[in-house]
Amino acid sequence: MSYMKSLAGALVMLGSWAAQASAPSAADLQALEKDLNAVGDRITRLQDLTEVEIVQHAYGYYVDKAQWRSLADLFADDATLEIGGKGIFLGKKRVFEYMNTGLGPIGPRDGLLIDHQQFQCLPTIHEDGVTAETRCIAFVMSSGGWGHNYYEDDFVKENGVWKFKKLHGPFNMYAGYKLGWQDNVIVNTYPEKFPPWPDLPPSIIYLTFPSYYIEPFHYANPVTGKPMPAPSPRAGGEAFGR
Amino acid sequence: MLAYPCRVRYDAGAWDDSTGVAMIFRSKAMPLVLSVCIGLALCGNGFAKDDAARLAALKARVKAMADETSYVEAITKIQRLGRAFGYYTDKGYFGEAADLFIDDGTFQWGVDGVYKGKARIRELLTRHGGGSMKEGPGLPFGRLNLRMQLQPVVTVAADGNTAHARWREWGLLGEYKKSATWGDAIAEDDYVKQNGVWKIAARRYYLNFEAPYQGGWAALKPVTGEWQSAVAKDFPPDAPASKQYAPFPAVFVPPYDYADGNLRAIRSRAPFDAPKRPDDSLGKLEALADAKELQLARTESVRAIENLQAMYGYYIDKGQWKKAASLFSRAGTYEFGQSGVYIGNAHIERALSLMGPEGLEQGQLNNYVMVQPIIHISPDNRSAKARWRSDVQLSRAGKGRWGGGVYENEYVNDKGTWKFSKLHYYVTFWGDYDKGWAAAPIPMDPPSTSIPPDQPPTVVYQSFPKLQIVPYHYVNPVSGRPNAGE
Repeated sequence: MSYMKSLAGALVMLGSWAAQASAPSAADLQALEKDLNAVGDRITRLQDLTEVEIVQHAYGYYVDKAQWRSLADLFADDATLEIGGKGIFLGKKRVFEYMNTGLGPIGPRDGLLIDHQQFQCLPTIHEDGVTAETRCIAFVMSSGGWGHNYYEDDFVKENGVWKFKKLHGPFNMYAGYKLGWQDNVIVNTYPEKFPPWPDLPPSIIYLTFPSYYIEPFHYANPVTGKPMPAPSPRAGGEAFGR
Repeated sequence: MLAYPCRVRYDAGAWDDSTGVAMIFRSKAMPLVLSVCIGLALCGNGFAKDDAARLAALKARVKAMADETSYVEAITKIQRLGRAFGYYTDKGYFGEAADLFIDDGTFQWGVDGVYKGKARIRELLTRHGGGSMKEGPGLPFGRLNLRMQLQPVVTVAADGNTAHARWREWGLLGEYKKSATWGDAIAEDDYVKQNGVWKIAARRYYLNFEAPYQGGWAALKPVTGEWQSAVAKDFPPDAPASKQYAPFPAVFVPPYDYADGNLRAIRSRAPFDAPKRPDDSLGKLEALADAKELQLARTESVRAIENLQAMYGYYIDKGQWKKAASLFSRAGTYEFGQSGVYIGNAHIERALSLMGPEGLEQGQLNNYVMVQPIIHISPDNRSAKARWRSDVQLSRAGKGRWGGGVYENEYVNDKGTWKFSKLHYYVTFWGDYDKGWAAAPIPMDPPSTSIPPDQPPTVVYQSFPKLQIVPYHYVNPVSGRPNAGE
């Protein structure tokens, strides 16, 4: 029996030595949890990219069918909206008014096409994880003809939900169907062009095609990391490049 | 699984009659108490080994998740590169566009040839876009150079350092009072990651047409002989093009350099059920990893479905009905406007052939631009729904046509490969090119009598000038309210 006891004792000791050698320590677990959460944060950023794009794309489908209430619901309470040259509208209610008064009553109207396709979105989720920006395009096919505008929009994540914080839609080119942009262009809007009147004047005065305006990029060049250079002061003039 | 020999027995209350070691001692009539002691000691050791193995396994999983996250990030970064390129060329930022390439990057323009290096690419883009090499970014008065970069199919190589993408460029080009032009091209890009930064290594730009606004693409005449651009004559390329072809109205299929048939682009994780994890500190981390893994799989599925829908669009463009139909699940359904419902790959292929012969004929244009996705993956990553928009540019027998509409599609994760389980295109409008959709809307075709559907249309409606709200598969993404109540 004593032999057996010694053997058992040795085994017990061996067992505890092995346990000491390989049981994960609290530090091991903490390090692993940290790694896991770091990957988790990156996954959340990927999900954020999709969710921000969904808000922008949903906006376009609502414009198509004049669903102004659903559209206004995409905005944070204190969000701002500035489209074309109309000036700035403050808050969700004014977003609704801009649409409902400026663009016509709620709901699709037979014979009036206002398709606003949204694409080429380039979203950036900021380090804080609760603010984001995107550059996108709206390409308009309407009963009147064509439109092309950019967006440089801000988003905020409130209670886990991404919303518009600022919608800024500078126009590039609007043209009628018959001749297109060759000789049928429609100039930018302006505050008094149609009601309602804006809460604040336009943040920038610019002209649309055939003139030149470049809406600043919110992002640096993805390869060089450098911010955008200023355009030539002669861009948009006949003397440019001569 | 190596795991839990002691734990399982302990939980089952039967640990004492199983391990070989314990049995040896028992066979020598070991007193029970000693047996328990030894057993505990061994089990302690077993637990430790077991925990060590679990820890190592979890570490390996976290590493694999990091790699898979990098894969999905790479797709988003490549999408970003392509889109940034478009925004630069739009406004005459040709130096910035060229800076998206590696130092010895290449740009092959149509059949003109290949331009090598950033400086040459900058000049190439400047000459085609109407900019200036002499002064800063910009365009002169009246120059329009909007080149929309759409519908990417991104395939990242297994090593994570190279990638390919196919893009569609839709151009609005021209000079005020002189010209308005539609541009249509496919770009096949190679990318490489240098010092952690994704860059464009090569762009092969397959111009399909530059068509005058008046008359549009349907009025284009076949090209005979050389059709190099005017730019190439004044600014010769550094090397000949890898491919000679004729543009529209010929039907040319730009090579699928992203690897046609490489399904990685439309794959994600196969559906999985996470096992119940032990109620200990390691088990909590394992359960957390399970949840993150599912979240990751779902973000990967979003990109797979983007790729799938874009790939479908490229096949439809060129009348590749068989390839397009192969992207459906076996019980998949297809419904286009008022076509009725076609079920199964073979019948869907026949339904698609109502658009034209396999490969199309000279003069047929069938551009279905796939944009504006709203993709929702089911919580278990087994299925998905998405809304998409299509702008359509057609040509048949010398007549051009515009179209627009909305898809509400469903998808299934078939052992890790995403497929269409339901494709439903709601036509918003069809319109004659010359007169426009407002002046000359065209009604939808009724169900075919030559290749009849399996079922009648699921929703009966009329296209423009009638308008209706296409049902949404989702609630308002911010308010959570249904979209119907206005």
